[in-house]
Amino acid sequence: MKIYISGLYSGTNPQPGVGIARSLRLAYPDALLVGVEYSNRCSGIHWQDFDEIWLQRPWDELNLDAHAREIGRVLDAGAFYISAIDLEIMWLASVFPEGHPNLLTPPVEGLYQVSKPAIPAHEKLPVKIPPFVTTEISDWDLHAFCRKHDWKVWLKGPYYDAARTRNWTEFENMRNAFSSAWSTEKLFLQTHVTGYEESISFSAYKGELLHAVSMRKRDLTEMNKTWAGDVSVVPTEFYEPLCEVVKDLNWTGGAELEMVRDPDGQLWMIECNPRYPAWIHGATIAGHNMSAILVERASDVPAQKSPAVTDEFTRVVLEIPVHPEMPLPPLPEPFAGVVGHSLKHPSGLLGFANRLHGMNLNGQNGNGNGNGNGYGKLNGKELTIVPSSFMDDISDFDFEQIQTPSFLYLEKTASEHFNRAAKIAGNLSTEDVAVINAYSMKTNPDARLVQQAYEAGFLAEAISPLEVSKALEVGFKPEQIILNGPGKWWHKEHLPNEPIHAVFADSIADLQRVVAALESGELKAKIAGMRLRMPNIPSRFGIPIDTPELFGELIEAIKTLPRESGFGIHFHMASSSVGVGQWWHLFESMLKWCSSIEALAGRPIEILDIGGGWFPDDWHEGADEQFKKAVQSVGEYLPNVKQIISEPGKALAQPSMALAMRILEIQDFPNATDVVVDGSIAELPMYFFYPHRILHQNGETGSWKSLGRGKAYFLGRLCMEHDVVASHVELPETAKPGDLLVFCDAGAYDRSMSYVFGRG
Amino acid sequence: MSLDAVKTAFDTNEVNLVEIAAPFEKWQDFPVSRISHHGSVCCEVAREWLSAMDFSNLNGGSVMTGPRWIRQYYNWGPTRWQIHWCEAIKQNALDCGAQASLANEVFTVRGVESYPVQLVQQYSKEATQHWSQKWDGVETSTHWINEDLIYHEGCAVVMRDENEIKIWDASAGWWINPRQFGGYGGLRALRLFSGQHDAREFV
Repeated sequence: MKIYISGLYSGTNPQPGVGIARSLRLAYPDALLVGVEYSNRCSGIHWQDFDEIWLQRPWDELNLDAHAREIGRVLDAGAFYISAIDLEIMWLASVFPEGHPNLLTPPVEGLYQVSKPAIPAHEKLPVKIPPFVTTEISDWDLHAFCRKHDWKVWLKGPYYDAARTRNWTEFENMRNAFSSAWSTEKLFLQTHVTGYEESISFSAYKGELLHAVSMRKRDLTEMNKTWAGDVSVVPTEFYEPLCEVVKDLNWTGGAELEMVRDPDGQLWMIECNPRYPAWIHGATIAGHNMSAILVERASDVPAQKSPAVTDEFTRVVLEIPVHPEMPLPPLPEPFAGVVGHSLKHPSGLLGFANRLHGMNLNGQNGNGNGNGNGYGKLNGKELTIVPSSFMDDISDFDFEQIQTPSFLYLEKTASEHFNRAAKIAGNLSTEDVAVINAYSMKTNPDARLVQQAYEAGFLAEAISPLEVSKALEVGFKPEQIILNGPGKWWHKEHLPNEPIHAVFADSIADLQRVVAALESGELKAKIAGMRLRMPNIPSRFGIPIDTPELFGELIEAIKTLPRESGFGIHFHMASSSVGVGQWWHLFESMLKWCSSIEALAGRPIEILDIGGGWFPDDWHEGADEQFKKAVQSVGEYLPNVKQIISEPGKALAQPSMALAMRILEIQDFPNATDVVVDGSIAELPMYFFYPHRILHQNGETGSWKSLGRGKAYFLGRLCMEHDVVASHVELPETAKPGDLLVFCDAGAYDRSMSYVFGRG
Repeated sequence: MSLDAVKTAFDTNEVNLVEIAAPFEKWQDFPVSRISHHGSVCCEVAREWLSAMDFSNLNGGSVMTGPRWIRQYYNWGPTRWQIHWCEAIKQNALDCGAQASLANEVFTVRGVESYPVQLVQQYSKEATQHWSQKWDGVETSTHWINEDLIYHEGCAVVMRDENEIKIWDASAGWWINPRQFGGYGGLRALRLFSGQHDAREFV
């Protein structure tokens, strides 16, 4: 019997070819095992169990038609072929659409049904699929997906590659890298599932499930690949539906279902690989020779039994002799001045993937143009457009009279948002608890926004006496002002003589200073309290409580606050940074801490001041019900709270301003277009943290277009390498120097943290 | 031994030893570790801190997640018993009994059914000699060591379907492998304290 086995890469992320060969050698000592490989750099070609090596040229230069004919010839001659390379399996399915009795790989339709991330075949199995989204949707919506899932997301390539992207900059970098490597925009983002990784591998022949085995990872490599594991039989509740799935898919060959079991015992399927896993010989050690079972069924030649040695396996690193006829190739020359040799995918898999894109074998066209910063369309459904109020506001401007770059105050948008916030607060208030908004002055101290806040009945939240002074100038009364942060004594001469609404200390030392100021009359406040620094979230602000000693100190310090003032707690964490789910957990955690503080310090908490750092969409869409629940939770944990102060500053200010700029120069390159603009990162310092929706005005017709994703880079006017205000943006064909661009969503920290640079 | 064996101990409530008496013989009358309470605010502050810290460290995850943060926060080392809550949480290092007590407390506060469990684990004489020297150096009892066996404590946590328990090894920061019995680090015996008279079966 002659058996061809491909996929012999044996690095730290190995292919299973060597494991298959080891297992088949045990079952068929006299079989002729032929290793198939596409690079002489794959160390598996030197493994002792191979009688012959069929070494092909790398995929990116291989004559696929000739190779297909050769494989057909060996199959017709009676040899079996077990592929352990995902892309080769896809290609073979197209070469042999009707299959071949000796080709032990799955058919095309089966491959479609196990393609990630949706894995349609999972539906009959007791598993779930983690939420995912294609990167073809707009950046705006991708950012929303990441926030919703607390930035615990993985960006995944179409076949291989996955990278955890903890923030927008990481996401953009990895998207560019993966798109470039795999020549496609069709990547996807998938949420992380915390738990233990386990797999099920099975063997099947023409829709008949022959055997399945379960493996739990017991030790991992740096890339989370299996280094050790334990093996057991597949439970009946999984095996029975798996039989049905295999039958439905008319599966032939090996497979691996990669899963994560969460702490509640739920299995989440991450991938279904159309081949055996690299740990397959570990199953053989445990008495389950999966590849032998497959060959036995296909050949009717009885396999020698592989008794179980143990139900656990592990790996070691072995040095083995190099086959004299296949000496080691030289190492490529390191690029001058560069670290490392860059040896990834020596068999040319990336080039092969590109060739498969062209053949459209994977059910995707592989070259989606994607959608961009302002507009997304997926399956005909519009996902995000620039809000109509933006267009109403922008149409009011006479851009002939505006020198760019220039911030645009979107008055109707601002008014709409502030009034809505006031309405929400009113609706959330109850007989026992008043909910009121406060405008965080630092978000954007533009007097027009501060005025909006004042007119909408907000309080003003200041982090310095200078901000207090600004609020008073706009019309706020002292009793409408909250003083916060570590800089409250800087320019203290601006503090009013009348009582302010609340003061929150930022440290124990600051608390002592506040107590002294209140007792001496230097500061008057109806409410005095402190900001909590929540454990487990890095922050330099607030009083830490993450050791028993610090917690005890805080309890004692609270007891020193004057009884004449009420007691309050301030909590602030930017949900746009930590994610929406994480923010709500922190909120509940904060309530729990407050409940303990109240009980232990003997001071009822009367006011909760909650800062959100909300991204506008997270604060607006479906948040009302969540806020209602939050108010109820406050009542349950802290029955003495009379007032809840909400600080939605970023959610209101960010959409209320945009930045207008003009195109200075357009330079086309073969694969990209550089567009120099008169704006810069000095006006858009938050460019690195979230996408901005971009509008382009047609210079001739005056019509506005929301820009999608494309090949243009918008380069700022500054002579700074990192002054790139937008990447991978669609540039309309009509665009020319002098055209107007409007970057929306620039009204919060873009505006307040913008700086003067390069203006002479 | 399988989890079926646990049923015996669970049903009879801290009476029987599981599988074989020999491994547990030395510790037949060993009480499970319990942290004392001064009955005053000092210990209340400690317990409140522990439960609030645990909630913070859950990060929005499942309450069935093992509280590994406790092991990350406290080194494993000798504890001088009797110890009170206000003393225990301020230690740099705690022994397995103290860490299991903290873990049991946080599981219970989370609303998860959790019970103290006594274990006998097998190691090697080299390992136990090393531990003997370490414990001797700080004037604490080495009664927990017997040749290549050690007395150990953890938490028996009832899973959501109430048909299964898992053993949380608080001082290791992992769930004990229910398939591993004997061998280095392997479980040799187990005794579970339910603290109530509800005989239930776990399969």
